[in-house]
Amino acid sequence: MKFLLGTVAVIALLASGTGYVGYRLSCNPALHVAASKGDTMAWLRTDFHLSNEKFLEVCKLHDSYAGTCEEHCRMIQEATREREALLTAHADRAALDSANRKIQGLREVCEGSIATHVRRVAELMPPEDGRRYLTLVLPRIANFDHTAAPDLRLRHSN
Amino acid sequence: MVPSGDSLSETLHGWQVTPPADRSFRQNVWRRIGKQAGVTWPTYLRANGAMVSLASIVMLTAAAYGGRALAHRQTRADRESIVVTYLVGIDPRVQAALRP
Repeated sequence: MKFLLGTVAVIALLASGTGYVGYRLSCNPALHVAASKGDTMAWLRTDFHLSNEKFLEVCKLHDSYAGTCEEHCRMIQEATREREALLTAHADRAALDSANRKIQGLREVCEGSIATHVRRVAELMPPEDGRRYLTLVLPRIANFDHTAAPDLRLRHSN
Repeated sequence: MVPSGDSLSETLHGWQVTPPADRSFRQNVWRRIGKQAGVTWPTYLRANGAMVSLASIVMLTAAAYGGRALAHRQTRADRESIVVTYLVGIDPRVQAALRP
């Protein structure tokens, strides 16, 4: 009986080691660190194999886009406040529809602007990585399904 | 009645025995040897070599597959999380809703 238990213990130990090696060989530590820290630039750099030169260009692109993002954010907030003021004042239907159309228009402009930005970023990546990046982000931008972030930062990160 | 010498000889001549194959013959031999010599772990492993090998192969394969699957699931979750964080950071539609 003791030999049976000993044999099972040795096999279990070897299996644990094999499982650990399988995990280490297949995992992506750089991605995990970037995800844990919420470091999106580190993610872009490692997951899409950016060289130092290309990474600096991506950083510049993001910096230049930050102004556009800020401006769009402000415009959407203003339009939303206008609509809320109309709602509070019990404005007529036409005025509310007009306010809603304005917000919708701004959101569409914003969507186009983000798509243009990510396409520029993708151009700086190796072709295959660029395609993978766009496949990852473009549908989410179009579907606007990234609002329920599990670790949503309540601070403007641009 | 005692058969005559010739009759017994004929009976034995025509007698055929076909015993069923004993699959655990080898294991039983090792077990008997072990009992006599005092069982050691190597003796035990030799006696149960097939079972131990099969169990090892199954467990190690399952562990390797499990480790790999766990890593892939972790990578997918990490990527999902960082993509959302990234898009929240560059999407004014989200920022407009978040900011006071």
